[in-house]
Amino acid sequence: MSNQKKRNFQIEAFKHRVVVDPKYADKTWKVLEHAIHEIYNHNASGLSFEELYRNAYNMVLHKFGEKLYSGLVSTMTSHLKEISKAIEAAQGESFLEELNRKWNDHNKALQMIRDILMYMDRTYIPSNHKTPVHELGLNLWRDNIVRSSKIQTRLLNTLLDLVHRERTGEVIDRGLMRNIIKMLMDLGSAVYQEDFEKHFLEVSAEFYKVESQKFIECCDCGEYLKKAEKRLNEEIERVTHYLDAKSEIKITNVVEKEMIANHMLRLVHMDNSGLVNMLLDDKYDDLGRMYNLCRRVPNGLLTIREVMTSHLRETGKQLVTDPERLKDPVEFVQRLLDEKDKYDSIINKAFINDKTFQNALTNSFEYFINLNARSPEFISLFVDDKLRKGLKGVSEEDVEIILDKVMMLFRYLQEKDVFEKYYKQHLAKRLLSGKTVSDDAERSLIVKLKTECGYQFTSKLEGMFTDMKTSQDTMQGFYASHPELGEGPTLVVQVLTTGSWPTQPSATCNLPSEMSALCEKFRSYYLGTHTGRRLSWQTNMGNADMKASFGKGQKHELNVSTYQMCVLMLFNNAERLSYKEIEQATEIPAPELKRCLQSMACVKGKNVLRKEPMSKEIGEEDAFFVNDKFSSKFYKVKIGTVVAQKESEPEKQETRQRVEEDRKPQIEAAIVRIMKSRRVLDHNNLISEVTKQLQQRFLPNPTEIKKRIESLIERDFLERDNVDRKLYRYLA
Amino acid sequence: MPRASKRKAAPASSSSVTAPPPDQSRSRTAKATSKTRLKESDQIDNLFDTYANSSLGQIDPEGIETLCSDMKVEYTDVRILMLAWKMKAQRQGYFTKDEWQAGMKALKANTLLKLVKTLSELKKEAEAPQNFEDFYSFAFKYCLTEEKQKGVDIESTCELLKIVLGYQFPSQVDSLVEYLKVQKDYKVINKDQWMGFLRFCKEISFPDMANYDENQAWPLILDNFVDWKKQKSGGR
Repeated sequence: MSNQKKRNFQIEAFKHRVVVDPKYADKTWKVLEHAIHEIYNHNASGLSFEELYRNAYNMVLHKFGEKLYSGLVSTMTSHLKEISKAIEAAQGESFLEELNRKWNDHNKALQMIRDILMYMDRTYIPSNHKTPVHELGLNLWRDNIVRSSKIQTRLLNTLLDLVHRERTGEVIDRGLMRNIIKMLMDLGSAVYQEDFEKHFLEVSAEFYKVESQKFIECCDCGEYLKKAEKRLNEEIERVTHYLDAKSEIKITNVVEKEMIANHMLRLVHMDNSGLVNMLLDDKYDDLGRMYNLCRRVPNGLLTIREVMTSHLRETGKQLVTDPERLKDPVEFVQRLLDEKDKYDSIINKAFINDKTFQNALTNSFEYFINLNARSPEFISLFVDDKLRKGLKGVSEEDVEIILDKVMMLFRYLQEKDVFEKYYKQHLAKRLLSGKTVSDDAERSLIVKLKTECGYQFTSKLEGMFTDMKTSQDTMQGFYASHPELGEGPTLVVQVLTTGSWPTQPSATCNLPSEMSALCEKFRSYYLGTHTGRRLSWQTNMGNADMKASFGKGQKHELNVSTYQMCVLMLFNNAERLSYKEIEQATEIPAPELKRCLQSMACVKGKNVLRKEPMSKEIGEEDAFFVNDKFSSKFYKVKIGTVVAQKESEPEKQETRQRVEEDRKPQIEAAIVRIMKSRRVLDHNNLISEVTKQLQQRFLPNPTEIKKRIESLIERDFLERDNVDRKLYRYLA
Repeated sequence: MPRASKRKAAPASSSSVTAPPPDQSRSRTAKATSKTRLKESDQIDNLFDTYANSSLGQIDPEGIETLCSDMKVEYTDVRILMLAWKMKAQRQGYFTKDEWQAGMKALKANTLLKLVKTLSELKKEAEAPQNFEDFYSFAFKYCLTEEKQKGVDIESTCELLKIVLGYQFPSQVDSLVEYLKVQKDYKVINKDQWMGFLRFCKEISFPDMANYDENQAWPLILDNFVDWKKQKSGGR
């Protein structure tokens, strides 16, 4: 054993003999190059995938990736250049088809090439930051075909031309379009947008600008909108068929801008066919279309809403200030309800119940209803009419519907307290004359008012109903305890609690002896059970049924007011009576007496009295007789004058004054309430707080509030702050 | 009230102060001061009695009238009102003994002549910014002759305005007075409105009234006045 040379025993990797054959790379490349040619020439079937793959693999492995890659680039490029020439040569229609075909070919080829060169794709390319094969293929296609100078413009123009033709009604090959567009999309969104979409949008804008101008000159609003809608739908459909989905919003914006936004004002205000006309004629379809289209453009809905609001306000204002309409309050309110129904329908059917439109409707109604100071009175008269006769025979549900509609109008009123005053008056008359069609309807309305305005509002009204009921019981008790009165005239008394009922000054009136005796008996009966109360007869509110026989034996039953009864009873004892004698005997105040006599002597069909002279006016020297020649078709004749009517001017002033007087304490109470809790408050805030608190009933005038504040200062409820004159302080 | 000033020790003639020798003079002057003190208050009382209504024990309107003519001052002169203010007089047209004494002492006047002399100073005092509001307020209260009376009638208010404010704010007072006479909303003016007039004159530029804001807490009567004035001068 020699120790000289200790050989380390190593196992070495078996090395192939590295044949650095310079021609090796070339040879291998030639094979691959040839393969690529064959692929492009549709001769790929003869190739061995495995062999080619191996070749490519080896090239990369032996560090010839660079050669392979650059070879690939130049080979593909030269092929593409030839393809480009072929496409350019295509004529007319076949241009796109040729392009499409070649594109498909290219893709197939690219796939195969990529498969073959997959090893390079995965190793050499990433580590050398080269473009992957597939992407490379697309880029080369893009640069050599799509953006080649001879093709680029022609391609774009062809595409745009096809779109234009389709827009003008021709049928085009959509499939082909789709493929070409898809090609652009595949090449990258930058290509799609730069090379096509951008121009597409520009051209479209121009197209629609021209078309919209043409249409607007010759179409009316409804037709134009139909056309615009059609075009819009077409474009959306176009996108689904052969454009990138992302283009939809862009092209629709173009159409919206050119066809709608640019012409919106002109359309909306178009004479004889614009928005206002559509509203007037209830053109639901057109309105719906306008709504949908305007919704798409900035301020579109705002514009429609504004036009609708100003039209509605104008219409409403005319309605409420038209002197003709004001003659019939019931008709007046009916017109308002009809108008509301109309717009409710429009908003429902055409404006998809858009809340902003509902609000605009409410605001408009609030505006014009309050332009007429008599609106509260008229609404009450409307209700009165319905409750007297209008609701006769109407089903319960329908009654509710009508009352709900009335409540809606009520809500729009600013001066709800004025309504309350009139409603009370009218209700009183209805109750006392027994002329209400449905008790349930009455009560239903009271409940609605209570829900809307609170207990305060309706407590007195409910008190009125209670009085009626109580009076019935009282009458029963009265007659039960006085059976001897069964023979004589029947007395029906309603005992009204002062404060619940509208105040009326009671005037003098001498009842005929039969009645006054009866009334006294009732009074003592009543006061017997209710000590400490005081009764005063309201002779101006009563009525009477009387049997009368006239000269030729005709008999009638007359329904008259208490005053009229007093007058007529006088004629039981006298043939002829002068005005003065009647006045003296009855002591009825002159204006009422004159009215009463007029209703019995000067009205055809009700002239139970005859007057000399036969003038229409009642003179102090006139003489009255029973009209023996009186005739009427009916046995029962109604001459009473207790129906609620539109107030005369002086009555209206009086009511208005009473309302104003009632408001003063309410304002003061609000001021005191607020100051008590806030202790110190500045002027402007006090005014706005007071207004807020009272607005459920009425809108207080800031001047009036100021007056009340000053009155409270004078009475030492409040004081002004010494330093800051804007502040008020509560004085405990 | 201790008389600190030696000057007053010598009655009638007043001038320079000579320092008398100590001790003796002090007692002398002490006696003199107490004597003069008595004398002064006597003088004040005597003056009071000159004008007072003996049965009432107060100076009544007649007495005041006489006082005015003696002083050669108009009865309606604002200085008389200021005098009443200085005296803190409670009742218009009457001065009680206490009021008289307090006022005269405050004015440092014990003779009629001195009183007349101090009147012009009194005017300056009353018109001084820190006092004027107090005086102005007093002037109104002074006119409330009846018990529980809260307002002064228009006629009297106008007169009072002229007297009290006419000097400082002539154009405002003229306009206000004209307005008060034609308006029908108010028949009496209350304290709040009265004070409002002063505030108006002090704060609002006139006659343009550009800085008047009727949404502020001005009394309503002034809102109406401003509207009236604007309409008159052909404004909005």
